[in-house]
Amino acid sequence: MKKINRRQFFLASGALLCSATSAQALWPFSRENDKIGGPADIRGTIFRKDAPETLWKWHKEAIFYKKLKNEQVRCGLCPHRCLLAPGDRGVCRSRANLAGTLYSLGYGNPCSVHVDPVEKKPLFHFKPQSRVFSLAVAGCNFRCLNCQNWEISQTRPDEIRHTELFPAEAVTAAQKSGSRAIAYTYSEPTTFFEYMLDIGRLAKKEGIDNLWISNGYINREPLLKLCRVLDGANVNLKSYSDAIYKKLNGGRLQPVLNTFKTLHDQGVHFEMTNLVVPGYVDDEEMIKRMCGWILANLGPNHPLHFLRFFPQYRLDRLAPTPISTLTRFRQLAMSEGIRYVYVGNVPGHEGNNTYCHNCKKLLIERRGYTIPAYHLDGNQCSFCRTVIPGRWL
Amino acid sequence: MKRIDEHAVLRVIIATGISSVVTQLLTIREFLSCFQGNEIVIALTLFNWLLLGGIGTLLSRRLSRFFHPSANHLAWLSLILAAFANLQILLVRTLRDIIFIPGSSVGFYPTFVFTFFTILPYCLLLGFVLPYSLYLIRTRITNYPGAKVYIVDNIGDVSGGILFSFCLVFWATPMQAICLANLPLLLTSWLLFPRPSRLRPLVLAGSILTLVILVSGILTELQTLAPAQGRLVHYRESRYGRIEMRQDREQFTLFQDGVPVFSNQNLSMAEETIHYPLSQLREKPKNILLISAEGGMMAEIAKYEPQRVDYVELDPQVTSVLFDFGLLQKIEGLSIIHRDGRSWLNETEQIYDAIIVNLPEPDTFQINRFFTDRFYELARSHLAPHGILSFSVAGFDNFLAEPQRLKLSSLRNTVAAHFNHVLLLPGQKIFFLCSTHPINLGIPALLKEKGIETYSIEGFYHGNISPERISSLNSQLNRQVAKNLDEKPHLMAIMFDQWFAKYNTSPIIFIVALAGCVLFYLFRLSREEFVLFSTGAMTMGSEMLVIFAFQIYYGYIYFQIGLIVTVFLAGLLPGAWYGERLRSRGRQMLLLSDSMLIGLLTLLIVALKIGGDLLPVPFYLLFGFVISLICGFQFPVALYLRGGDNPAVARVFSADLIGAGFGTLFTSLALIPYCGLIWAAAGLIGIKCISLLVVVKSASR
Repeated sequence: MKKINRRQFFLASGALLCSATSAQALWPFSRENDKIGGPADIRGTIFRKDAPETLWKWHKEAIFYKKLKNEQVRCGLCPHRCLLAPGDRGVCRSRANLAGTLYSLGYGNPCSVHVDPVEKKPLFHFKPQSRVFSLAVAGCNFRCLNCQNWEISQTRPDEIRHTELFPAEAVTAAQKSGSRAIAYTYSEPTTFFEYMLDIGRLAKKEGIDNLWISNGYINREPLLKLCRVLDGANVNLKSYSDAIYKKLNGGRLQPVLNTFKTLHDQGVHFEMTNLVVPGYVDDEEMIKRMCGWILANLGPNHPLHFLRFFPQYRLDRLAPTPISTLTRFRQLAMSEGIRYVYVGNVPGHEGNNTYCHNCKKLLIERRGYTIPAYHLDGNQCSFCRTVIPGRWL
Repeated sequence: MKRIDEHAVLRVIIATGISSVVTQLLTIREFLSCFQGNEIVIALTLFNWLLLGGIGTLLSRRLSRFFHPSANHLAWLSLILAAFANLQILLVRTLRDIIFIPGSSVGFYPTFVFTFFTILPYCLLLGFVLPYSLYLIRTRITNYPGAKVYIVDNIGDVSGGILFSFCLVFWATPMQAICLANLPLLLTSWLLFPRPSRLRPLVLAGSILTLVILVSGILTELQTLAPAQGRLVHYRESRYGRIEMRQDREQFTLFQDGVPVFSNQNLSMAEETIHYPLSQLREKPKNILLISAEGGMMAEIAKYEPQRVDYVELDPQVTSVLFDFGLLQKIEGLSIIHRDGRSWLNETEQIYDAIIVNLPEPDTFQINRFFTDRFYELARSHLAPHGILSFSVAGFDNFLAEPQRLKLSSLRNTVAAHFNHVLLLPGQKIFFLCSTHPINLGIPALLKEKGIETYSIEGFYHGNISPERISSLNSQLNRQVAKNLDEKPHLMAIMFDQWFAKYNTSPIIFIVALAGCVLFYLFRLSREEFVLFSTGAMTMGSEMLVIFAFQIYYGYIYFQIGLIVTVFLAGLLPGAWYGERLRSRGRQMLLLSDSMLIGLLTLLIVALKIGGDLLPVPFYLLFGFVISLICGFQFPVALYLRGGDNPAVARVFSADLIGAGFGTLFTSLALIPYCGLIWAAAGLIGIKCISLLVVVKSASR
C-alpha cells in the first residue's frame, strides 16, 4: 500500500472536518421536516380468553350484538365491532363472550361516584351551578395516552374496587345528594351502555336529567336509543385528524363526527371539547378545518371548549399548552362563526365567561365553578333578549 | 510473527477503560433523560451494559480462533469502539422519538429492549477487546498474566471515573465529554498500528473518520437535543442531570431530564402549594422553609410578608435558570440555599412556621428520603408550636387506584407518627397538611379573612375539594400499611408497582426469564467462576447499598457520592496486584477473602443497626475500598485456579461482569425496595455464603 504525503494528509483531514461541520445542517433526523415518530395506531386489541370463567352479580346481557357461528359474537356497540370467540373480552374490557352470549360486566358496579358542579364536565350551557351526580364503571374503548382517568378507563370492571349501585339505587342516591342530573362520566360510559340506559330511563321518570360525557365513539343505533333519555352531552372532539386519533387515542375520527351529527339531528343539547395537545392538536389550519366542519354540519350554536393540556399519564413529557395558543384558537373559532367558544383549565381567562353572541355583553361570569354575575332571563340575554342556546334554569 | 509492543497494547487498554467508564456514565444519563429518571432505568442500563460486556468477553474466546490476534486488528477494533461511543449517544437521542411517540413515556419492556439494542454494538465490542488484548500480548509473551490486563483495565476505569466525576461533568456537554474521553483511545489505537502502517491511507482515513465522528457529535449536539415542540432557549448539563428551558410562544417550561417540571403559567399549582399550608397559620408566618419551588410561588409567599424565606434547592443551575427566565421572583427576606434539603435541616437550628416540600414524585431513592419517618421527625423538630408541614404527591381525578391507595396510606401512617393532625386534600396533586393543631378545611374563607386573593383556589376549591371527596379519600386509607422508613423504603416498592401498573405490564416475565438465564449460566460455571460471579454481584450490590445509606444519612452530596463510586473502583487495583502475588495459595485465599466479604457485610449490618447516621463519612469510603480490594484480590486467584489460559480468561472476565450486572439489578430493584437495607445486606451475605460453600466443597475434594 502507498504512503500518503503530508499535503495529502492535511487535505484529507480538512475535507473530513468540513464534512463534520456540514453534518450540522444535514443532520438526517432533523425534527423540523420529520414526521411524528412512534406507532401510527395504538388501537386496543381484543383480550383473548380473558373473560371471567363464570358470570358475576354485575353482568347483564348486552343489547347490541350479533350471534354468529361457533358461538362467536360481534359487538355492535361501538365502531370497533369486536368479533369475540367464546371466552374473549372486547377492546373496552367490559364486555365478554360467555358461551355465545355477549355480556356487559359493568352493570350496577360503579367504581367512582361523586357529586360535581355541572361546570366541571364541562357543560357551560346546561343549568349553571347545578350539582350533578356523577358515576363511572371501569372500561374504555380508547387508549388515550393522556387519559386523566387511566386507573379506571384502562382496567377491567372485575379487577378494581367498586360499589354496588343498581339503577334504582343510583337514582335514589342522586336524589338524596340534591343533584338535578346524573352524569355518566370519568371513564367511557358507552362501555356500560346497558347500565347507563336503565338508570337514564328511571331518572327521566323522576325528573332527573341525564348527561353523557363521552369520547363519542359509539355506533348510530345504540346512540339513537340513548338519545331518547339524554338531556345533555359533552363529547370530546380530540382532534380533527384521523392520524392523530389513531396515534394518541386509538380511535378514528369519522365515527365521532357521525356522533355529533346524530346528537344534533336528535336535538340533544351538547357541547364539544377539544384538548389542545402541544405538537399534535395545536395546528391552526386543523382548527380552521374543524370549525368549518362544525359550522357546516352542526351550526354555530353548540359551545366549543378548548382545554389546556397538562402532562398526564403516558403523555407526560410535553409542556402544558401555552395560554396564548388557546386564546388564539378561541378567537379563530369565533371569527369562523362559532358563537360560544370557551377556554378551559385556565383560571381567570376571559374565555371562561359567556358573552351574548348578539350584543357581546357579559352574560355569565365564571370564577372557577362559582358564578359572580348571571345576566340571563330564562333562556334570553337580559340585555338584548336574544335567545341563548342551551338548557337554562 | 510481527513484534508486538506490549506497552502500546496496555496503553490501549487504559484508554479503553477511560472511554468505557465515561461512555457508560453518559449513556446512563442519556437514558435517564430520554426515558425515566428512576432506578429501574439505571439498573436496566447497567444490567444490559454488564451483561453484553460479559457476552462480548465470552465471544472473544470463540472468535479469536477465526480472528487471529494482531495489533492491526486490535487497533481497528479500538478505533471502531471510539466511534461507537459517540454514535451510541446519537442513536439513543434520535431513535427515541422515531420508535416511540414523541412526548410519551414508555414502560419497562420497551425501555429494556431499547437500551439492550442501542448499546449492543458498543458493549459487545468493549467486552471483546479486553481479553483480545491479552491474547494479543500472549502471542509474544505466552505466560503473560491475565490479572495484569485486569489491573491495567482498572487503572483506565478509575481514571475515567475521576475524569468524568470531577472534571467533565462540570465543564463539558455529553458530546464534548465523549469526544474528550475517546481521544486517548483514538491516539493510542493509531499508535498501536505497526509503525509502517500508520501513514497508510486506509489507517489515516479510518483514524480521521473516527475523529470526525467524535467532533461531529459536538457540532450536532443542539440539533439532537432540539425538542419536538417549542424552542430550546437554555441548555445545561449539571452534575445532577439535564436542564433545558423550552419556550413555546410566551410560555417557558423547565425540563429536567426530559420531564416538564415547572412552567411560568401554572398558577393553580403555585397557589395550592403555598396557600393550603400558609392559610392554616393563625399569625403571619415569620420564617418559611421551601424545599424546591416552581413558577409563581415566591409571588404567592410574598402575600404573607414573611421576614425570612429559606429556599433550598439542590442544583444551583436550576435556581439560576428559574430566576433568569422569570419563573421565580426575588422577594424580600429570601435566602437561596444550594444544599440538599434534608442535610440543611440536619444542620440548621432555625425554627420555621411552615415547611413546604415541593418535590417531584418519590419514585427515586434520592427523593424518597424526603418522605420517610426520619425526615418527618426532622421536619417536626424544626417547626414552631403552631407550625405546619406540607408536601404533595401526584393526585388522581376520580378513582383511588390500589397502588396509589397504598402509597397514600403508607405516607399518612408515616407522617401521622409525628403530627397529631394530618389531612389529605385531593386534586391534581394530593396535599398532606400536617400540624399539631387541627386543620381547617375552609381554606377559601381563611384566605379571605387574611385578605389574600387567589384565582384558582377561590373558584375551584369547592368544586374539586368537596367535603365528600375529602372524606372519601381519607376514609379509604389503610392504617395497616407499613411506614416508609429510611432503612426500609416501603414506598419505593409501591412506586415501582405503580410504575408497572401505569404501563399495564408486570415484571414477572422478565424475572422468570432472567432467573432461567441466570440458572442456566450458573450451571455452566466452574467453581472459581461462580466465586467471581458472586463477588461481582456482591460488590455492585454493596455499592448500591452504600450509596443509598450514604444519601439517607448525609444527603445528596455530589462529590462524596462520586468519591464512593471511585473508591469502589480504586480498591480493585491494589487488590488485584496483591492477589497476583498470593495467587499460588489458591483456594485458601478464596476461602479467606469470601469470609472477609461476609464479615464486612455483617459489619455493615451492625453499623446500620446501631445507627447509620452516627457513622463518619470515612467509614463508607473505607468500606467501599475494602470490598473492592477483596473483589480485585479474588480475580487473579480465581484466574490462576482456572488455569489462566485464554478460554479461562474470557470465562473469568465474563463471570465477573455478568455477576456485577445481576447484582446491580437484584439489589436496587428487588432487595432494597422490597426488603430494606438490612435484609438487602443479608441477601448479599446469602449469595456469598453459597460461594463460600462452593469453595469449601471444592477444597475438600
